[in-house]
Amino acid sequence: MSLENKVFSGDTLRVGYRFQRHWDNSMAYAFICAELGAGLFFVSLLLNSMAGMVLGLILVSTGKPYFHLAHMGVPGKSWRAMLRPDRSWISRGLLALGAMVGTGLLYVLALQFGEQSGIAPDSGLVGALKMAAAGFALVVMCYQGFAMSHSSAIAIWNSAIIPMASLLYSLAMGVAGAMILLPSAQSAGLADTQMLLLLGLAVMHLMLIHGGWHGNPGARTSVELLLQSIYAKWFWGLVVSAGILLPALLLWFAPASGTVAFISAFAMLSGFFTWRVLIFKIGVYEPIMSMNPFQSAR
Amino acid sequence: MARVGMVFDLKACIGCNACVVACKQENSLPDGVFFTKTLSEEYGVFPLANRVYIPTICNHCEDAPCEKVCPSGATHTREDGIVMVDDDKCIGCSSCAVACPYDQRTQMEESNFLAGLFGNGELTPFEEDGYGRYTPGTVTKCDFCSQRVDAGLNPACVVTCPTNARIFGDLDDPASAPSVMIRERHGRQPMPEKNTKPKVYYVN
Repeated sequence: MSLENKVFSGDTLRVGYRFQRHWDNSMAYAFICAELGAGLFFVSLLLNSMAGMVLGLILVSTGKPYFHLAHMGVPGKSWRAMLRPDRSWISRGLLALGAMVGTGLLYVLALQFGEQSGIAPDSGLVGALKMAAAGFALVVMCYQGFAMSHSSAIAIWNSAIIPMASLLYSLAMGVAGAMILLPSAQSAGLADTQMLLLLGLAVMHLMLIHGGWHGNPGARTSVELLLQSIYAKWFWGLVVSAGILLPALLLWFAPASGTVAFISAFAMLSGFFTWRVLIFKIGVYEPIMSMNPFQSAR
Repeated sequence: MARVGMVFDLKACIGCNACVVACKQENSLPDGVFFTKTLSEEYGVFPLANRVYIPTICNHCEDAPCEKVCPSGATHTREDGIVMVDDDKCIGCSSCAVACPYDQRTQMEESNFLAGLFGNGELTPFEEDGYGRYTPGTVTKCDFCSQRVDAGLNPACVVTCPTNARIFGDLDDPASAPSVMIRERHGRQPMPEKNTKPKVYYVN
């Protein structure tokens, strides 16, 4: 059944597909801040870029909570979101986020002011802080994907590819940010890594589309929305062309420079931003049941 | 302990929406918020066209995905199987609403309580009395009229239905009306492929 023949019930009382609208753009922006910030912090941590680490921490500790609280119905009770790490990825992620900001901040302070206080940058304590901050950053990079893929309600999200997408986009955006912030000699060495990540993103999108197309009706409907509806131009134009192809071409053909790194990062950011918004918009609930003996609503 | 559930008789449902009105009245639901809806589906071509009504409600799943994802512990299951939301604990993150395959949860926006039933911004005494049970921003849903169940009564939608299309009772009791109906008329659960084990069944 093609997209035109499917019933989208919207707010009507018809049996049909219903769009996920509980998580809106505000949540998408919160996801973007967390993944972008954690990715930038993680990559900068590995490359010892102080500016990248600080910027990453700022994004995670301000942008993410701001947009998350803006989405929340009762922001005053938001601390309660951390109470069930045994079963909820949101609880686990928020705890990891707090731990990442805490250990990351301590690590940055130790690097900056440690020697004045008698803490050598190569001491075991600083090394342990670095390891802990990197580990927590990895969790923050992935957990939102796990929170989405955990439940079977929205079929296109209920896939192992979604956490992988979070990780890949985090790393790619982290490398893109580091290429701007680091000196050009060092950032040129990141081009190969970025090409690999862009290839990974392309493969990830192909896997998601292929899996959804051959998956259950809900997942297929989401893929059809992505490729055939008004969202298609955004997907092909920004997510694929600007977010993957343009940076790949620039990194491959253009000589390494700050301008190329900036244009490439900006194009990737636009693709990443669009992808995050689109993945929320194409999420659909399947029809509860159909009594039509001739044709399933699904 | 009983394990309560509900059966919808699709042959009996005439789509009168009396259950919807009873639910809104019993639970003092503001404009635009529904705990139960009667969906309709049309098929066939004249003169062989048909319309069927499909009542929907929270399915009080045994393996409730909404409960699994709730980060604050607000969503919990009572001993009798009714899935509840604790207003005091709910933070309004909507994770439960996203996780429910049946899309049966509603976030109570502040605006829901301001317009009033007549849309003039003034609340009737009925609204003023009833809205106090809700906290704006939290997520709510059907709780099988738990206050009525605790008092030994059936949910409001069940007692209102003029055609007995909604049957409520103990699913663990093989002699109860819903158990007999499920057994004899091959009751089926909505979207069984989601593995949520709903305690709501449909018979045709």
